[in-house]
Amino acid sequence: MPEATPKPEELVQINYDPHEKDWRKTRPEFRKGTFCHAALPKDVKYLGLPNPRDWQPPDVDWKLPPNWKEIILQGMKERLEKFRSFRLFMDICVRCGACADKCQFFLGSGDPKNMPVLRAELIRSVYRRYFTTTGKLFRGLAGARDLTEDVIKEWFYYFYQCSECRRCSVFCPFGIDTAEITMMVRELLNLVGVNTNWVIGPVANCYRVGNHLGIQPHGFKDSIDFAVDDLEEITGVRVEAPINRKGAEVLFIVPSADYFATPHYYTLLGYLMLFHEIGLDYTFSAYAAEGGNFGLFSSHELAKRLNAKMYAEAKRLKVKWILGGECGHMWRVVNQYMDTMNGPADFLEVPVSPFTGTRFENTRSTKMVHICEFTSDLIYHNKLRLNPSRNDHWKVTFHDSCNPARGMGLLEEPRYILRKVCNHFHEMPENTIREQTFCCGSGAGLGSDENIEARLRGGLPRANAVKYVRDKHGVNLLTCICAIDKATLPTLLEYWTPGVDVGGIHELLGNALIMKGEKERTTDLRGQPLQQKSEAVHA
Amino acid sequence: MKPLVPLFVILAVIGLAYGGGQLADTRYLLGIVLPYAAIATFLLGFSYRVIRWAHSALPFHIPTTCGQQKTLPWIRSSWIENPHNKRGVLTRMALEILLFRSLFRNSRAQIEEGPRLLYTENKWLWLGALAFHWSLLVILLRHLRLFVEPVPRFVIGMDTIDGFLQIGAPQLLITDVVVVAALLYLLKRRFTDRRLRYISLYTDYFALFLLLGIVITGILMRYFFKVDLEGVKQLALGLVTFSPTLPAAVGPLFFVHLTLVSLLFAYFPYSKLMHMGGIFLSPTRNLANDSRRQRHVNPWNYPVKVHTYQEWEEEFHDKIKNSGLPLEKE
Amino acid sequence: MPGISPSQKQAIAERWLAVALETYPAQSRQFLEGEKDPFRNPVGQSLRTQIPKLVDELFGDMDPQRLGQALEELVRLRAVQQFTPREALGFLFLLKPICREELPADAQARAELEDRIDEIALVGFDIFVRCREQIYEIRANEAKRRVALLERMNPEAGR
Repeated sequence: MPEATPKPEELVQINYDPHEKDWRKTRPEFRKGTFCHAALPKDVKYLGLPNPRDWQPPDVDWKLPPNWKEIILQGMKERLEKFRSFRLFMDICVRCGACADKCQFFLGSGDPKNMPVLRAELIRSVYRRYFTTTGKLFRGLAGARDLTEDVIKEWFYYFYQCSECRRCSVFCPFGIDTAEITMMVRELLNLVGVNTNWVIGPVANCYRVGNHLGIQPHGFKDSIDFAVDDLEEITGVRVEAPINRKGAEVLFIVPSADYFATPHYYTLLGYLMLFHEIGLDYTFSAYAAEGGNFGLFSSHELAKRLNAKMYAEAKRLKVKWILGGECGHMWRVVNQYMDTMNGPADFLEVPVSPFTGTRFENTRSTKMVHICEFTSDLIYHNKLRLNPSRNDHWKVTFHDSCNPARGMGLLEEPRYILRKVCNHFHEMPENTIREQTFCCGSGAGLGSDENIEARLRGGLPRANAVKYVRDKHGVNLLTCICAIDKATLPTLLEYWTPGVDVGGIHELLGNALIMKGEKERTTDLRGQPLQQKSEAVHA
Repeated sequence: MKPLVPLFVILAVIGLAYGGGQLADTRYLLGIVLPYAAIATFLLGFSYRVIRWAHSALPFHIPTTCGQQKTLPWIRSSWIENPHNKRGVLTRMALEILLFRSLFRNSRAQIEEGPRLLYTENKWLWLGALAFHWSLLVILLRHLRLFVEPVPRFVIGMDTIDGFLQIGAPQLLITDVVVVAALLYLLKRRFTDRRLRYISLYTDYFALFLLLGIVITGILMRYFFKVDLEGVKQLALGLVTFSPTLPAAVGPLFFVHLTLVSLLFAYFPYSKLMHMGGIFLSPTRNLANDSRRQRHVNPWNYPVKVHTYQEWEEEFHDKIKNSGLPLEKE
Repeated sequence: MPGISPSQKQAIAERWLAVALETYPAQSRQFLEGEKDPFRNPVGQSLRTQIPKLVDELFGDMDPQRLGQALEELVRLRAVQQFTPREALGFLFLLKPICREELPADAQARAELEDRIDEIALVGFDIFVRCREQIYEIRANEAKRRVALLERMNPEAGR
């Protein structure tokens, strides 16, 4: 090193600006570990999206189209007309600061631009400059700033550090929802070809093949068959798992991670056991084989293009209604968008549970029921025989996933099931669960590999609450009903809170479910011996 | 320093108005022309903004759900925090608008020795905001006594309650104290909280200084430099009946007050103060979480390119066949 | 290390906390410092609780286990917080100037103290490297879990 060796105390004078510089003039630094890679040109091209090209975020030249500015401003104008939420949220923020400390990315990183209010100001300042009289006239005095390439880079950096979890929206006195703003900005970035591989890759796969990884139909069938074999070994019962079967009563759609990733897979086993035991007349689909919808993390249009498969397939297979598995953002889409985007589902019937006779009135129009609603109804009507002591090796807590919590309100059903299928259930602190739940830090297409540090920071508040119940109650299993959670929380906990595993609600249900003709169970669905596990509370 | 520019602007306005309040021509301008212009700007601007919002489409039902949804009959749903019908939405909105429900949520947890979890509340912002808005409303309504003859009964009743301390003559009104205290608190936050200082814009300070200017000149006139109330009332009644006259006895302080109020009204539609109208339209709050129960139509819904089953089957035909899955076309 | 009063220890811990907070952006510092809710402010909480423990060890037994625990919590955080290694661990060395100013000069005692600080820093360095290694490890684990079933189905295919 050519420079003179500094004294130790000088070493820590780090380049964070100690002065209170105007935030409009600072620029993000693309440091490895905090940003996602750019989308591959082949995927962008396949989906017919604008400006496919080779580029990466640290590049100086992002190769935007020559009229990029015009495209962005035109895109904003259009969206201000099309989304009341967007125009309103641009206008009414008073910067009271109530949201500032509600974002897990701010809590974990301390970066002030991760405060929801400031994240939104990143585009609000541009909105003022080009769409309001005062902004055009008074510029900086009215809180406006010019749209430059640096602004585009800043948008990319910070709007891909928002997991669209809506936590800030719960606390905002006007209900301003940063998720909504993030969606708009990502749509705008999409218009000039600024996308991430972690979002567009799965979207392209899902669009073409039917699931995020691009596992082809025979591969899908193989993994379901594999699960059936696995189950026979564990339970001694051979279940059936039909695929693309016409005329079944129910079409069952799960997030694809359920059939190729762990710990998701154990939840899949749980579903299969449940359906066999009650004798549900159902089918999977290899065409609509993905519950997740990464389109939502890029644009409303992409969300709609992917989601269309669900109704189309339900119609083709002539089922009566649709049942959906444990997934977070899938349920945001199903609950708040699907019927509007791709309905009406007038070819389906209002879902009725064939076993309890319960008519799911709340799904009268969409005709799609959440597996937790379905199962809790079964348990409530005593249709299942359960032995919760088979989960005694687990001390369980429940993590509300953002979308089912704040975009739906599915809070009690999973808890009801949990209380029936296990004996040790402990809630995390009140302001970290239910509608105030902390995000895993990897939602909305952030669950990538290359931005792991940003994710670990964003997930710290959640992990911190888990740590509390681990230390206080010896909790060793965090359950959740979201595929992204199941993929990323194990990583998060491995770093921050070792000794806590992650599992699904229906995994525990599967463990507890007493099946007709089953052999004596010696292991749980993970293949762990039933007795010994309790010793390994702390790793 | 961000607060200095707005402070200077407000002080300049005060100075100009004070000077102008002493010359006949400018008194006419400040006392009659300006209020009319300001009210016109306010009404037109406010309606324009609200119409503009309402004109933007409402494609999706996106309420932020803050409680249990309505599903199975034996699960208690949180009908206010996660409304499924009009009644729930109206109640939620009323709580939001009248009591600032969401701001009230600022709870926090602390671990005491033991370890024991203790919940304490962090309600200062909520309290400050509520105190400010409610006292401002009372003060605004109190001014009806200037515009309506005879003075409405509820205005008199309100003042009696407001002055229950019975200190001084004229009686000290609680709302006057509260509104100043609340405004100073809201201002203090922006000065002392680093995060807020970082996010605050010139306009944030401008609004606070403007309101403080109005409130302080009002208080000065009521308690210290008594203004000729009859004269003010004559002007106010004249303005609302469109036959304005300028009373001679009204001093320059009043003109400062009136000018600041006019400025507030004129500035209102151009500013974040529009949150007053906006809160009614907020789609995360004013919609029911019933989009599975009931279909909502997106007015600009358009057909999109999808990958159909037929295309899919064609592409993977052999693989589907070999795996034994059923096909539409053999 | 005898002869240091509790108030001196406290003064050192407070000053050290202050300079550690200075390594965060000015706009966030006040929040990290002031917000006492451990769930809303895990970063500030760690600094507040672990720094006094480190100071105790510095003037106490230098118990490797306690020292390691306190450092672990701090360094684990800083290992993912967009610091370079120098920035992440430099705050440990800031103890030296603070102790120089807070404590009376005694060459012998000072030398011993500085040796102890160096030792703390070395332990911190160990932990930092371990955390960074772990990040690579958990990335690999995550990637494996992502396709765990595919691997089980085709064990010979490998990756």
